[in-house]
Amino acid sequence: MTARLDSPLKVTGRARYGSDHNPPGMVFGYVVLSTVAHGEVTAMDVTAVRDAPGVLAVYTPFESLELHTPHNPIMGATWVPLQDTDVAYRGQPIGFVVAETFEQARDAASLVEVSYRERTPLTSLEDGLAAAEDAPPSMDGSPHTVTVLASGVESIEDALAASPVVVEATYTTAPQNHAAMEPHSAVAVWESGTLTVYSGNQGSDLQAASLAQALAEPLSAVHAVNPFVGGAFGGKGATSVPAFLAAAAARDLGRPVKAALTREQVFTATGTRAATVQRLALGAEKDGTLVALRHDSWSSTPMSRAFIEQTSHSTSREWYTTPNMVISQKMVPLNIPPTTFMRAPGEAPGSFALESAIDELAVELGMDPIELRRRNSSLAPPGKDLQWSSKHLDECFGIGAERFGWSQRSEGGRVDGDWLVGLGTATAMFPALRFPASVRVTLNADDTAEVATSGADPGTGLLSVLSLIGADSLDIAPERVTPRLGDSALPSGGMSGGSTATASAGSAIMVAAPEVIDELLTLAAAPGAPFEGAEVSYADGRVLATDGRSLTFGEVLRAVDRSSIAAVGSSAPGEEMSKHSFSSFGAQFCEVRVHRWTREVRVSRMLGVFDAGRIINEQPARSQLMGGMIWGVSAALHEGMEIEADGRLANGDFASYLIPVNADIPDVDVQFVQYPDTLHNPVGARGVGEIGIVGVAAAIANAVFNATGTRVRNIPIAIEDLLDE
Amino acid sequence: MRPFELTAPETVDAALASPGTFLAGGTTLVDLMKLDVLTPERVLDINTLPLQGIDTTDGLRIGALERMSDVAAHPGTYPVISRALLLSASQQLRNMASIGGNLMQRTRCGYFRDVSVPCNRREPGSGCPALTGANRMHAVLGTSESCVATHASDLAVALVALDARVRLVGSDGERTVALADFYRMPADTPEVETDLRQGELISEVLVPRLDWASRSTYVKVRDRQSYEFALCSAAVALDVQDSRIVDARVAAGGVATVPWRLPSVEQALRGAPPTQETFEAAAALATEGARPLSGNGFKAPLLRRTIIRALREVTEEDRA
Ligand SMILES: Cc1cc2nc3c(=O)[nH]c(=O)nc-3n(C[C@H](O)[C@H](O)[C@H](O)COP(=O)(O)OP(=O)(O)OC[C@H]3O[C@@H](n4cnc5c(N)ncnc54)[C@H](O)[C@@H]3O)c2cc1C
Ligand code: SF4
Repeated sequence: MTARLDSPLKVTGRARYGSDHNPPGMVFGYVVLSTVAHGEVTAMDVTAVRDAPGVLAVYTPFESLELHTPHNPIMGATWVPLQDTDVAYRGQPIGFVVAETFEQARDAASLVEVSYRERTPLTSLEDGLAAAEDAPPSMDGSPHTVTVLASGVESIEDALAASPVVVEATYTTAPQNHAAMEPHSAVAVWESGTLTVYSGNQGSDLQAASLAQALAEPLSAVHAVNPFVGGAFGGKGATSVPAFLAAAAARDLGRPVKAALTREQVFTATGTRAATVQRLALGAEKDGTLVALRHDSWSSTPMSRAFIEQTSHSTSREWYTTPNMVISQKMVPLNIPPTTFMRAPGEAPGSFALESAIDELAVELGMDPIELRRRNSSLAPPGKDLQWSSKHLDECFGIGAERFGWSQRSEGGRVDGDWLVGLGTATAMFPALRFPASVRVTLNADDTAEVATSGADPGTGLLSVLSLIGADSLDIAPERVTPRLGDSALPSGGMSGGSTATASAGSAIMVAAPEVIDELLTLAAAPGAPFEGAEVSYADGRVLATDGRSLTFGEVLRAVDRSSIAAVGSSAPGEEMSKHSFSSFGAQFCEVRVHRWTREVRVSRMLGVFDAGRIINEQPARSQLMGGMIWGVSAALHEGMEIEADGRLANGDFASYLIPVNADIPDVDVQFVQYPDTLHNPVGARGVGEIGIVGVAAAIANAVFNATGTRVRNIPIAIEDLLDE
Repeated sequence: MRPFELTAPETVDAALASPGTFLAGGTTLVDLMKLDVLTPERVLDINTLPLQGIDTTDGLRIGALERMSDVAAHPGTYPVISRALLLSASQQLRNMASIGGNLMQRTRCGYFRDVSVPCNRREPGSGCPALTGANRMHAVLGTSESCVATHASDLAVALVALDARVRLVGSDGERTVALADFYRMPADTPEVETDLRQGELISEVLVPRLDWASRSTYVKVRDRQSYEFALCSAAVALDVQDSRIVDARVAAGGVATVPWRLPSVEQALRGAPPTQETFEAAAALATEGARPLSGNGFKAPLLRRTIIRALREVTEEDRA
């Protein structure tokens, strides 16, 4: 177990995040947001703004900074601000004021007078359901509706009608904001035709590419730097509005520009998780065998329809064995802030619905919910031939049930004084993915090594993982390996997202390390070299000859007069995808206490047991999972954006957008079953960034039902959901 | 935030002589200045004025500049007061925030705090979006067509239950006012929140001696376990002798436009045995006249239940 290498820097305040950079001559930009949710900006009076002290420039759709829409394979198109007068949601960036100081820019921004031609906004998912549209194909290319029917079965309705036991219910989940500690911000510096941008983002090379496209500059002219990212969770996958505006304004003004969103602005001017409505029907035999599953999902999406939260595709499509299954995904375009990836996009809200429904079925059958899940555990996604590469979910449930005292659970919960106590459980799954990634491994003459990639460490521990896998692959101590990341000048590490970074970068290291060792051995045995003509091998950081002589790699490099040698390794999803299905698995357990009189729900115990392949570094892996589970509590009991009819966010600050505080979170127990999944990638790791949140909200709702007998089908669960009179 | 002039008067007389907005801990004032809700031109830092001290010789006398954390920790404080304080805000805020400032804090209504929307309390006559908008946190008691905002102080609820008074000093002298009379229901002038006159200062809080208030508590129900305002709260003190309730004090928070004393509930408790039936019958009277809004209908049942819970908690031993 290794503590994270960057912890001391972060704890002592020496880690320099994007907006900690203050180059000489820097000026400050402040973003202006729309105050209506739908319509057109007809005029912006900025006379008073220009006259305000310290103001250097005011940019609006009428006097804009030219920006072009960039595209990348993962994020698709990224919206760039101020290019037209359309207003699609309240809190949309429509202006940018640059001044000598932050306070001057903010003060001046408050003087902008905006005129709108307003149109009636549509902001409520419920009201928009009637106008729902079929969603575009999901990330893996599946159509909006997927139907799997056993031969002879005409329709899912027939299969449900023929099922001896059926449960049917509708679930809803609230929209959320990532609310990362570091607000979206950027410092942009132009120097002799080259732009350097310091801005927290999930992939420096992707950010550099999107800035280059937006600014119509060659890629070589843009350098993105983000060695530290103060939380991202999917909300920093795309290049942010402050980064586009700071970069363009810095070019226009010939001075470095810093731009940072305020906490309140982050809620609308970045990305959010969609609200969802999900209708589920499960049909089963009396012994619990699933016969039919129908999962219809509606997700809110902004008017651009740029991102759809796919809840049924990412859960019911794969989780259980069933001969008959129909899943569908619709989108409901609304005048709301953009939606985007957020930790376990699809799986988090989808698992609330599916895993609540499974619990309802268990109640209906009078069966233990773990037994019901075991009975329907899938060997492969329904209707697919490719079996799971490595699945130990039953073992997770077994260990969890034992540790958590599941056998003590009784049907109607238990009473402790004035507290009603209940236990709940749920399955967690998250696909094992990999993105293309390249890593450079360098051996230095001073016997140190460097492992470098442009990818980001948004608090996940990738930096430490690079050093550990690098050390392992080079057979040297981790202290001798310098990891580097978060710089677009390094080999392309792609996106830190989808819980992929360890598997992707790790696999690339395992390609690069043998290559650089091969080169070392070739050099060592070359004419004039210390091992000329000898048969050599490599171990323990040394080159060894059959005659017993050995030299460290540094000694060899010095002898042949090289300061360093390097190799770049790349990895990408490959033919494994045609052989197996890949996923991580977990069993979530929660105990809740509900006050008999005042109905507050308190989570009193939590346990997650995870099958996520090989765990490279246990401490940060546990932290990742714990963080995910805590966010699950937040989604279940606290968090939700309240968007009013006119598009105003009623709770757009940390005083009213509730996230749990320490008092809300009990000890969180995280356990692993470790089965390295080398069918997926040579490292055997499947990623732990997202699976922690999956299933938690359902486990809590199921525990609430166990405690109180009340089934709550919406999150966050509030006191009034549990009050009868 | 708009530019302002900051001065620190050295005596109470100097503070009263110069017009301006008083700054104590600043946890309400600076917050609202940042939001442009309050835009004072002159701010008077009163922190060096001699308005300190906690005296327990006869009842409780608390200087207006005492910090919430110090009062909560003081051994002579009644349980209902220290619990109300400890369940308020966070330790950091309690270390900064003063008792006078706490009583003068403004409502947490989201529309009041957002200058881009109307609000009768902030801009008289502009309208009240909460009547039809996000009003889950709002009041069901003491409301009017002009304003339905709750009073947010937990401490004030405990103090009202204990018949506390505030001493006010102005340029024309001193007066003391019962805290229950100090706060104004909104009626059609929601901008007038208290009886405090222009330039007047709260110098201290006086709590009459009430020995049996050693049996008292404050129950606060909220959406998370700490660092959040009440959806509903109850301050309760009971005098129980020989299995009879001799006297009772009950007040509610989070549900009303001012700290809400509940004399009818107290009356129903007096003389009755401390049983569940008594508590339920008494609590049923708490919500007489409640006017629920679209999003807060649950507050009436929640108030009854919160009172029952508080009464159960202070009589746990009697009932055992
Ligand atoms: C995040 C947050 C959470 C909070 N949670 C809670 C909670 O759960 N429960 C709760 O009760 N409170 C809560 N509060 C409110 C907090 O208790 C008050 O902000 C605080 O008590 C105000 O005291 P202060 O000394 O900081 O007042 P200041 O901000 O300095 O002043 C507030 C107002 O009172 C006036 N004033 C100050 N002193 C006097 C005086 N002696 N005489 C006359 N006028 C005076 C000022 O002019 C100003 O208008 C919370 C506040 C925050 C920011
Ligand atoms: S409830 Fe009162 S404070 Fe809130 S908006 Fe209405 S008038 Fe303003």
